[in-house]
Amino acid sequence: MFKLALRSLIDKKLRFALTTFVVVLGVMFVVGSFTLTDSLRSTFSGLARDIAQGTDLTVRVDQSFGGDFDRATVPEAVGEQVLGVEGVDRVQPELGALNVFIVDGEGNAIRPPGPPALGFSFNPGTFFITDGRQPAAPGEFATDTSTAAGNGLRIGETYEVNGPITAEPFELVGVFNFGAPDSHTGLGQTMAAFELDEAQRFFGMEDGYQAIGVLVSPGSEVSDVQDRLEAELGDDYRVITQEVDAAEQEEDFNQVVDIFNTILLVFAFIAVFVAAFIINNTFQIILGQRVREIGLWRAIGATPRQVSRSVITESAIVGVVATIIGIGLGLVLALVLRAILELIGFPLPPGPLTLQPRTVGLALLVGLGVTMISSIAPALRARKISPVAALAHDFRLDPTSLRRRVIAGGTVFAAGVVALAAGMTAGLDTTPTFVLLGIGAVLAFVGINTVSPAFARPAASALGRPVKSLFGMPGRLGRDNAARNPRRTASTAGALLIGLALMGLAAVVGESVKKTFVNIIENAVEADYFIRSAETGFGPPPGFPARLADEIEALDEIESVMRVQFAFGGLSVNGEPRDIVAADMAQADDHFDGQVSSGDMAAGDPLTALALHSDSAASLGVGVGDTLEATFPDNQTETLTVVAVYEDAAIYGNWLIDGALWDSHFNRNDLAFASARIAGLASAADEAELAALQDGSRAAIEGVLDRYPTVKVENQAEFRQAQESQLTALIRVIQVLIGLSFVIALIGIINTLSLSVFERIHEIGLLRSVGMTRKQLRRSIYWEALIVAVFGGLLGVTVGTVFGVATTLALPESFVQTVAVPWLDLAVFVLISAIAGLLAAILPAIRAGRMNILDAIAHE
Amino acid sequence: MTSSPTQALATAARAVAASKIYGSGDTEVRALDAIDVAFEEGRFTAIMGPSGSGKSTLMHCMAGLDTVTSGQVIIGDTDLTTLSEKDLTLLRRDNVGFVFQAYNLVPTLTAIENITLPMDLAGETGDTAWIDEVVGATGLSDRTKHRPNELSGGQQQRVAVARALAGRPQIIFADEPTGNVDSNTAAEILGFMRNAVTEMGQTIVMVTHDPVAASYADRVVFLVDGKIVDELADPTPQTIRDHMTRLGA
Ligand SMILES: Nc1ncnc2c1ncn2[C@@H]1O[C@H](COP(=O)(O)OP(=O)(O)OP(=O)(O)O)[C@@H](O)[C@H]1O
Ligand SMILES: [Mg+2]
Repeated sequence: MFKLALRSLIDKKLRFALTTFVVVLGVMFVVGSFTLTDSLRSTFSGLARDIAQGTDLTVRVDQSFGGDFDRATVPEAVGEQVLGVEGVDRVQPELGALNVFIVDGEGNAIRPPGPPALGFSFNPGTFFITDGRQPAAPGEFATDTSTAAGNGLRIGETYEVNGPITAEPFELVGVFNFGAPDSHTGLGQTMAAFELDEAQRFFGMEDGYQAIGVLVSPGSEVSDVQDRLEAELGDDYRVITQEVDAAEQEEDFNQVVDIFNTILLVFAFIAVFVAAFIINNTFQIILGQRVREIGLWRAIGATPRQVSRSVITESAIVGVVATIIGIGLGLVLALVLRAILELIGFPLPPGPLTLQPRTVGLALLVGLGVTMISSIAPALRARKISPVAALAHDFRLDPTSLRRRVIAGGTVFAAGVVALAAGMTAGLDTTPTFVLLGIGAVLAFVGINTVSPAFARPAASALGRPVKSLFGMPGRLGRDNAARNPRRTASTAGALLIGLALMGLAAVVGESVKKTFVNIIENAVEADYFIRSAETGFGPPPGFPARLADEIEALDEIESVMRVQFAFGGLSVNGEPRDIVAADMAQADDHFDGQVSSGDMAAGDPLTALALHSDSAASLGVGVGDTLEATFPDNQTETLTVVAVYEDAAIYGNWLIDGALWDSHFNRNDLAFASARIAGLASAADEAELAALQDGSRAAIEGVLDRYPTVKVENQAEFRQAQESQLTALIRVIQVLIGLSFVIALIGIINTLSLSVFERIHEIGLLRSVGMTRKQLRRSIYWEALIVAVFGGLLGVTVGTVFGVATTLALPESFVQTVAVPWLDLAVFVLISAIAGLLAAILPAIRAGRMNILDAIAHE
Repeated sequence: MTSSPTQALATAARAVAASKIYGSGDTEVRALDAIDVAFEEGRFTAIMGPSGSGKSTLMHCMAGLDTVTSGQVIIGDTDLTTLSEKDLTLLRRDNVGFVFQAYNLVPTLTAIENITLPMDLAGETGDTAWIDEVVGATGLSDRTKHRPNELSGGQQQRVAVARALAGRPQIIFADEPTGNVDSNTAAEILGFMRNAVTEMGQTIVMVTHDPVAASYADRVVFLVDGKIVDELADPTPQTIRDHMTRLGA
């Protein structure tokens, strides 16, 4: 039977190639994602080791939650204390800050598009000067070799540096490699290093350090010194070894890599899922075509078992070959992704790609597993083929009855919907939610695909009606062929359906979020200007110096400025870290109306006031006047009083505190953004005066911003538009990524069309013999493809819209409040799938046209 | 096509020194060997010969389904060897009818749609009165809306002949049109074709192995090894059998 299976594969090279190709794509995505993220991991672990090197031990404040840069500083006196401990040779205080931008010679801030712009105190343990010298005095700085070379920075020149508090000129005195003396470990970050005292001043951390590096004197055991330091400093401090330091850094990085990995895997999953559809489809069609051949085997004595085994063997061969090719191409894909990452600003240091046994195992599971599972149903059907089939000319496999299909499909679909609903509402952790949503989506799609043949014929007929009457015989035949085999039409369309449904879902949810956001801005915004980072890259936009807001506030043209700060895990209540926003609560209402439903944001002591979004208030069961114990990342605990509950989370998030409270617990005082109101607007007499006020205030703000090239000002309309286009861009990126599944669906259509053309080969010969021109023949195939593709497109968009609306309704109100359906986008998706269908038809149509008429006629 | 059998007949189609060679070298097969043959308008010609003698090849080459290796094939005034692939297709559609041994019909089209297929492909309505007449002659007027799988083999063949007739082509070629049916059904189909020639003035050339079938024709041409070896006018089954015995076929 193995020989038979092999023979059948060799005989049908094209079919084999196309089927294999589909599996290859699925495997490729899986291998590519894992290989890339494994490589990222090893890169990051190298980076973590580089960061940790140079010291034997590190002393930090013990922090139970919160961001690294929000950790309380180690007082300078502790440095003295450490030096006094036996076995400590030297100490190396460490200081770092985010958002330290160097402004190049042309007045443009050097902005890495994704990685951070970092500032440091110069650390000779990990910074290795290659040119010039290390900064030793106020007004001096050094930068890394890659930033210097990439932006033409020259030693001896003076450059403006935007720090976390202010912008000042510094002279570039040296250039260094980070991590190793002769090579720079860069992931695209920019680094500015200052002399220790100067860094403390410039970063606004005069009273301490972020950490103290300890070098153990020769002859002392590191672990002994560690013990002695722990005993000396007590529970408030952690003393960790270089290895632990590196491991902790690595863990931080890995969290980012994990997110990245998850995103890639979601797309790999979609690819594999679409591929499974196509493989199953192909095996079904192939089986349909081989009925006579199999009947003949049966007639000459092959058992049903042998027959089904040969079908399984055939798919196993496809699976193995595809897996091997897929692994190879997956490595190529990883390289391509790496190049793309580099292109958008995340250069990874060159290193070998890591192909772990786990990846190979998964590739096998996907490649072999998917093909084998997809061939089970065809194999079972193959068993039922009787020897008589060999004799009948037009023997067809009994299609599953439509009634049974509708019942079975409906049940599976319902199960899928239940799983989806559970996933969306049960409030589980990320992983179980994803698993539940994944299973739900798969079940829903399988259900739809099982049911869809029931309406494929009427739908194709209806879609084809105008084609039939307007486009003569080729249109007529195209329609007939599309409606001919509902199962095939449905599963070909099914491959398109998946991608389109997901794109449709993203479009509806995205549009709703956008609409919600636009509504909020329209209703809630009272401020005239928004000052925020000009950054358009990835990740959260960097903050900017608080001083800038002071300078704007000092302008005569400006009435008031509201400063907004943000921290992930900025405080902890009931042991759970919460993301917080800090703003001037006294004037919050004048800038952004948070729709306060009870209490007053401006009431109470700014140092203990807390405002909550109604969702958070409800889940904690607190209201205005209640108090909460809140711990900050600096380990201080405060009793906060709820002064207001608000409904609109767009600006203030779920937890809002006053800037004054922020200042007493955070070293970081960079602003996420600021808003400003024009002075004297209310008393403006006419339009002209109004315009003059607007122009004047804007010019004044821009005058201040001249020194801060990383920051920009927008009026209401500009702000709204920028937010909108940012959301649109995000939705597009997601859609394009999902759209990759189109490529696979395209191959699916090519595959089914070639096979269906092949199935009709005799008929095509006949049509050609009675005078159908090649052009007419090609046209009939285009029509067939078009009808199938539009069917899939409409089905997908419908499913996507329904799921999109359901998702939107299920999402929390703080995130989305209105349901909006982007009809134009949806129409474009159908158009895209129509185009995909036509593209897919080109090859089969040309092949059909080239077929020798007599050979075709002779074919049965 | 109004000539009566008594007048000197015009030629509907002819082959001049037509050869068809398959393969090359050792495996070379001379399916047609410099054949000269003419088919007169308004006559029914049968072609007979042993298996492999080149009958189908001759039909295919004359109908523009295949090309000759050398020599000429002429339908009416048109030399097929000078035509492009596209013009050959149009010639088949407008000037030639063809009936295969079986599976002549497009399964998704009804009987009447199959009959008018060449006209539909040309984007023409055709001569409705004539088509009605042809359909009437098939005896299938009440089954025109049926699809091929709802018709018997004999009925399918009659529909196929009707399609060939519907466009009033210059000539119809039929390659063993009764090869797949029982003798009663064969008689129906042959009677229909005979009628088309006698009553409607069609020109038909038919390949057959059956002397009884061939006896419906006005003339029988015998083919052996790609050459015409003999012919017989106004044949009867008996005279045909005699000839065949003589030819050792
Ligand atoms: N495509 C082809 N390639 C090679 N040889 C061919 C091809 N078609 C036909 N032949 C050869 O040409 C010769 C004539 O074949 P043809 O089909 O015309 O015979 P025939 O008289 O119709 O026979 P039958 O009565 O069996 O139908 C045969 O020897 C056949 O093997
Ligand atoms: Mg033959």
